[in-house]
Amino acid sequence: MARKSSPVIIDETSEQVQHSVLINPGSTANQHTLRNIGLIIGREYKNRVRQRSFIISTIIMLVVVALGAFVPTVIQYFSSTSSTQTKIAVVNNAGAIAGLDGDALTRYIGTTLNGTSAQASGQSTSGKLPFAITTQTASALNTLQNQVKNGSLDILLVLNRPTGQNLHFTYYTHTDSTNDTNQAKIQALAQQLSFLDTAQRLGLTPAQTSSLYAPPGFTVVNSGQKGSSLSIAGYVIAIAGNILIYIAVVLYGMGVAMGVAEEKGSRIMEILVNAATPFQLMAGKIIGIGAAGLTQMACIVAVGIGALLLQAPLQSVLFGSSSAGLLQSITGVSITLLLLLLLYFILGFLLYATLYAALGALVKRQDEVQNAVAPLTFLLVIGYVVSYFGVYAPDALWMKVISFIPFWTPMVMLTRVGAGGSSWWEVLISILIMLVAIVICTAFAARIYRFAVLMYGQRPGLRQLVRIARMH
Amino acid sequence: MGLLVEHINKTFGQFQAIKDLSMEVSEGALFGFLGANGAGKTTTMRMILDIIRPDTGQIQWNGQEVRNVSRHSWGYLPEERGLYPKMAVEEQLLFLARLHGLSKQDAKKELDEWLERFQINANRKKKVEELSKGNQQKVQFLATILHNPDILIMDEPFSGLDPVNATVLKEAFLEMHRRGKTIIFSTHQLEQVEEMCEDVVIINKGQSVVQGNVREIKRQHGRNIARLKLDNDPQVAWLDTLPGIQVTKRRQDYIEMQIQSDLNPNLIVEAALSRGGAVSRFELVEPSLTDIFIEHVGTSGLPDAADLVSAPGGRE
Repeated sequence: MARKSSPVIIDETSEQVQHSVLINPGSTANQHTLRNIGLIIGREYKNRVRQRSFIISTIIMLVVVALGAFVPTVIQYFSSTSSTQTKIAVVNNAGAIAGLDGDALTRYIGTTLNGTSAQASGQSTSGKLPFAITTQTASALNTLQNQVKNGSLDILLVLNRPTGQNLHFTYYTHTDSTNDTNQAKIQALAQQLSFLDTAQRLGLTPAQTSSLYAPPGFTVVNSGQKGSSLSIAGYVIAIAGNILIYIAVVLYGMGVAMGVAEEKGSRIMEILVNAATPFQLMAGKIIGIGAAGLTQMACIVAVGIGALLLQAPLQSVLFGSSSAGLLQSITGVSITLLLLLLLYFILGFLLYATLYAALGALVKRQDEVQNAVAPLTFLLVIGYVVSYFGVYAPDALWMKVISFIPFWTPMVMLTRVGAGGSSWWEVLISILIMLVAIVICTAFAARIYRFAVLMYGQRPGLRQLVRIARMH
Repeated sequence: MGLLVEHINKTFGQFQAIKDLSMEVSEGALFGFLGANGAGKTTTMRMILDIIRPDTGQIQWNGQEVRNVSRHSWGYLPEERGLYPKMAVEEQLLFLARLHGLSKQDAKKELDEWLERFQINANRKKKVEELSKGNQQKVQFLATILHNPDILIMDEPFSGLDPVNATVLKEAFLEMHRRGKTIIFSTHQLEQVEEMCEDVVIINKGQSVVQGNVREIKRQHGRNIARLKLDNDPQVAWLDTLPGIQVTKRRQDYIEMQIQSDLNPNLIVEAALSRGGAVSRFELVEPSLTDIFIEHVGTSGLPDAADLVSAPGGRE
């Protein structure tokens, strides 16, 4: 059956089209701008936070973030309480090594492998040490080799000394060499023993030996202009901030585009444009969805920080000692950087969301949105990649230039600030440039929006879009 | 005063959708806006609403350009469903009413009253997509009238309704009419127009072909239709041989024919009697709106006519 006159027919070749489709360009609806935008924000926000998909995705993200914060503690907990203990039998056919023999040698090996601190606290916390060392005589060699084969013994280490030469170590194991994490440790141990042994045979005194071990004096003089006190924490904030900005823009920007396409597809747009101007509709939608997104992000960040803060007391309960080094440096970082993250987060979302709205208005059906917004996602990825590599060169000229391009400012400038590579006036200028860009993009998008929301014909080409934008 | 449409033209690309269309709808009228698919009804309605603007010509409401009339004076019911499918009925209608300028309390009061009248109170918390088509159309109607507009523009409000719901909606129409609203609506059910409207316009290919008072139009189109029933000869085959007569329908209860205006209808009766026919019915009738519609719009108005919209520029 004939579809009755959907009146707005787009002919790519036509010059007149642009003049023909002008939806309420102003007039009476303007009087109610704030009231209307407020109403639309309210609807979008409520509609969004009540969506089942929104609630479920929030819960999933909260769980992931909370679990993620517990991972280091959990790993530490398991490794400290794990019952797996590597049993090592040592057969020494080399006699005294560097003056060590018998029990003294066993203790030296134990200390080297398990670490001094572990041994010190080992007895008190009743945790088993990762390595258990026993010394055996050469006569038990065959039995021990069989034990390695059937798995009751993990490692057999045999020390030999070919006459007048350096020590020779034989390492018996049942574990596949690619999975063997112990081999490197034993090898390091062997090197150390051999070094000590050689030093003694060369007749060096213990003092001379330890002076060989002493690290060289190494002083770092950084002539870079900024103090690097917040570097590590700054990097962490910048990287985490970039991820947040990326996720938020893609997720909520897509939400804006889908929302616009949905209104167009369900034809409620025809009623809405009679009650509100396209600008009001667009602004209300962007702010409403943005606010819902900010709520979600705030929940996630709050839960994440809360879970991280829990780690210190939890670790002190579990291990008796607190080791929250990274966290303290993050929470100790200047509040300015966090506020800057929030500001760039909002500005970045606004800038991209206007364009997402315009592209969402251009499609005919909701399932075309994904394709239509692909260029924006690409644009965003560029900023992400630049800031990812830029972490290592925050002062490079190309970083400076890119950090002032509004589409990439939020990520790249944040990285520079985090790395301590930008001054306050640069940040201020970048924010001003972003504000100007937002105003321009909003004006551009509102025109496209006004033109496109009731158009159910072909998608106009780029040239046509420019022509629309230049109208009036 | 009312609504005055003067010589409007509208072109989309190569396709002239509206050609020099003029019409007048007096304030408080219940006005039928008729035309075949693709004739330009929706385009005209959108121009009246200032959603799109005519290339030339002007549209005024009570002497004022429509673009300067408050948006809140208009109520628009689009042809296709224009609601948020996943939003609850009550919430949706309150949102739309408030967006059209009503306060929250007023919107709520109006809503309660109308939901009761339309017997969809039980569905107020349901999502629109969960409602039957008839109930959805009622909600759509409420979205149009809740903010108490002066002018209602309704694009096929009766399409797809069962007789019961159509009656409920028709009652609401007449109620709005009694309240003095100006109602312009398009429909393909011409019997409804005959029943409800005083004035109509019929447009074809973007041009007005007939307009005015329904009774007036019928009278102008003359008494040139006759109905004949012969008890002993249901087919009356010889009618086809009479000059100046064209049989248009052969029904079980009568045969309808068009007679040339200069032909004396008595000739038909005489011819029947002379052939021994037992005349049980003979009458001269006014043409129905359907007849007038088909006479002016022709076969392009039939449902299987080429779709003007899908082939822009293909037809002039």
